[in-house]
Amino acid sequence: MSFVPGQPMCVVAQQIEIKKLRQGDHLILGFSIGGGIDQDPGQNPFSEDKTDKGIYVTRITPGGPAEAANLMMGDKILQVNGWDMTMVPHDKARKRLTNKKEDVVRLLVTRKTLEEAVKHSMGYPNQCH
Amino acid sequence: MPVDKFANMEEKLWILEDLNMMYIRQIALSLQDSDIQKKIDHEIRMRDGACKLLAACSQRDQALEAAKSLQTCSTRIMAYMSELQRMKEAQVMQKVTRRSSDAGPMDDRLPCKGKVAISDLRIPLMWKDTEYFKNKGELHRCAVFCLLQLGGEIFDTDMVIVDRTLTDICFDNAIVFTDASPGFELRVELYSCCSEDDYSAGSTPRKLASKLSSSLGRSSGKKLRASMEPGACSPVSNGGASPLLLPVPSVPGPKYHLLAHTTLSLSHVQDSFRTHDLTISGNEECSYWLPLYGSVCCRLAAQPLCMTQQMMSGCLKVKQCGADPQSWTKVHAALKGSSLFCYHRQEDVEANVEPAFTIAINKETRIRASEKDPQSKVQNICVSNQYGGEEVTHTLTTDSREDTHRWMEAFWQHFYDMSQWKQCCDDLMKIELPSPRKPAPATPKQGSLYHEMVIESSDDLSSTVSDILARRLQELELRSQLGTSPTWMSLFEEDNPKSAGRPSPCTSRLSGRSPRTPHRFPRSPVSPHRCPQLGLLSSDVSLTSDSDSQCSTSPCSHHHNWPEPSNFSLSSSSPSRLRPRTLSLDAKLSTLRGRGYGGGGGTFQCPCQPPPSSLLVPIPISSCSPRSQRSTQTTLSCSSSTSSNSSSNSEGSHSPESSEGLPFSRPSPARRSLRNLRARLDPRNWLQSQV
Repeated sequence: MSFVPGQPMCVVAQQIEIKKLRQGDHLILGFSIGGGIDQDPGQNPFSEDKTDKGIYVTRITPGGPAEAANLMMGDKILQVNGWDMTMVPHDKARKRLTNKKEDVVRLLVTRKTLEEAVKHSMGYPNQCH
Repeated sequence: MPVDKFANMEEKLWILEDLNMMYIRQIALSLQDSDIQKKIDHEIRMRDGACKLLAACSQRDQALEAAKSLQTCSTRIMAYMSELQRMKEAQVMQKVTRRSSDAGPMDDRLPCKGKVAISDLRIPLMWKDTEYFKNKGELHRCAVFCLLQLGGEIFDTDMVIVDRTLTDICFDNAIVFTDASPGFELRVELYSCCSEDDYSAGSTPRKLASKLSSSLGRSSGKKLRASMEPGACSPVSNGGASPLLLPVPSVPGPKYHLLAHTTLSLSHVQDSFRTHDLTISGNEECSYWLPLYGSVCCRLAAQPLCMTQQMMSGCLKVKQCGADPQSWTKVHAALKGSSLFCYHRQEDVEANVEPAFTIAINKETRIRASEKDPQSKVQNICVSNQYGGEEVTHTLTTDSREDTHRWMEAFWQHFYDMSQWKQCCDDLMKIELPSPRKPAPATPKQGSLYHEMVIESSDDLSSTVSDILARRLQELELRSQLGTSPTWMSLFEEDNPKSAGRPSPCTSRLSGRSPRTPHRFPRSPVSPHRCPQLGLLSSDVSLTSDSDSQCSTSPCSHHHNWPEPSNFSLSSSSPSRLRPRTLSLDAKLSTLRGRGYGGGGGTFQCPCQPPPSSLLVPIPISSCSPRSQRSTQTTLSCSSSTSSNSSSNSEGSHSPESSEGLPFSRPSPARRSLRNLRARLDPRNWLQSQV
């Protein structure tokens, strides 16, 4: 999952759609993010490459919308509603996710297990796509 | 009409200038000195070019450079014209004296000329310390350069932009004046020009200018007015030349003003750096003002010709005194510097061969003509030196009287030169000829000196403190296993069965409150039962246990009051009283303890921030009472299982906009922004945001 900024990257990604939950005055998604280009990437417990300044999911609120949508802790968010999240400051990422005008966010996420799953599936020639 | 008057004035000035030029030319012709005339013409052409460039250029840097060349050219023109006038005067005076009286004794010796070099100019600045450290406000910048004048030669240094990040103004140029006499006066002038963009106003009409200045505010308006004053276009301040003699045309653009000056002479010459005083003109109100320390450091070196060139050479016959009267050695001698080099043959001088011997000719040397040699009818020259207490005399003789006379003359001249050039003749001072000017390397903007100082401390204080605390805790744990632990440790018991009966908020409130009232911190009645023996404080334990039963409910019932005096007595009577701890230490301790006792054990995979950041979190939290309860609970149970976290989370503390890692109830906006700022600005944080 490591990538060089500026170079095209090839990952296996999954699209996750989360419907925001209205809690009084707030719309919540039910997870926490960490990372950003203005943060110290060495402190990211989830990233494989400790220079990766991307946005990672650090916590999922149980029972929240994110959990329901199968977002997992440790996922790296690549896009939010089409906006890139691989090269953004932390606050920008947060703002993209908490736009009050949007009820739904479509995330493009990736995780290590996805790659493995694909490799695994490709290992079996009998597997049909 | 003001505009017409202005134009009129300009015309008059131009006419005057033309007349002046004609006058100058006349003088030059009469002096039959076309050299200066050519120089003046050249400078005037340069000056016109600079004016045109100044009018045409748009960039600030270009304008400053053009203004600098304009200033230099004007100064040079002034100098040449003064020179011309002086020469004219001298000529007239000479004619007068020749007519009136006989020529006086014309044997006034003139000392030899020399080279004077000034290099490594450095002018220290004296900014107020507030300007250095606060570094706020716009950077007030000035462009400065130095004009160095000796005799008829005027050189300028490169221009340097100065702002408050610089501690000194340094000019790297080395300037060599080739034709200096010992009584030279080297005038150093520092010109500066304010480098703000707004004030290169042209000939704005007065009314508009006053309107602008009143609306711009007092200080900037003052600056603007100062820059537009007619005094600003006054001609150079060099010499006493009348201002109408070729006045500087008023060209819109930056104008340099004289900020400081000083005059250096032979007494300031030394082979090393020296500091000289500056005379500062101008005051703080001027736009071109810079806080000068009042001195200038430079290296002023001089090489008189007598030290570098052969003053006299020829054939001599040398005999050492006390030797055989007939043992004359025929040598080719060269007088240079402080010695008379004697070579065997003339070719040796060119070939750089070592001289046969050297006779010192310095201030200590005594030379006299001896009586006529009966054989050759030529006077001998006796040169006496003191070599380590011993007097050594060499006798020189030549073939003819004229030669002897010439040698004597040479020696006298040499002595005169040495007496005039004084310390320059002790040793030859090195003068480096300035290499062909390379374009200055584009250095990045100089940071402040203070920013450049690197402080190599990789360990920050809090980590060392936490290390110490961790170690202490380990010791304490060991001790508690053995059954001895200070009473205050019990405060952090999480899984204390005895305390289960006690509502937990009280505990957290206690510890949460503790930072605020440190003097009441220790030994609150929180389950000392768990630690039956307390080692040192065993006696106190019993006290505690007694009092504990009394006020076991006190923390809960007393909202704001602190435990009974009995506890106080406990604390006062304890032999090893704990000194009041600081806020952060308390919080640190609590978090560490809390972490060690992670609820339910298991791996401590706290998604929360690493310790240093948790330091930040408790501090502002505990200082805010309404929220302290839940937040400190979370602080303590930072490591506690997800369930507690989620419970507190699902309790309705949805804070979408919080950017702290710990979920807590929505704080007041002010607190939150303060915390946000602190957390965000801390580079050790790895922020997590709840969305």
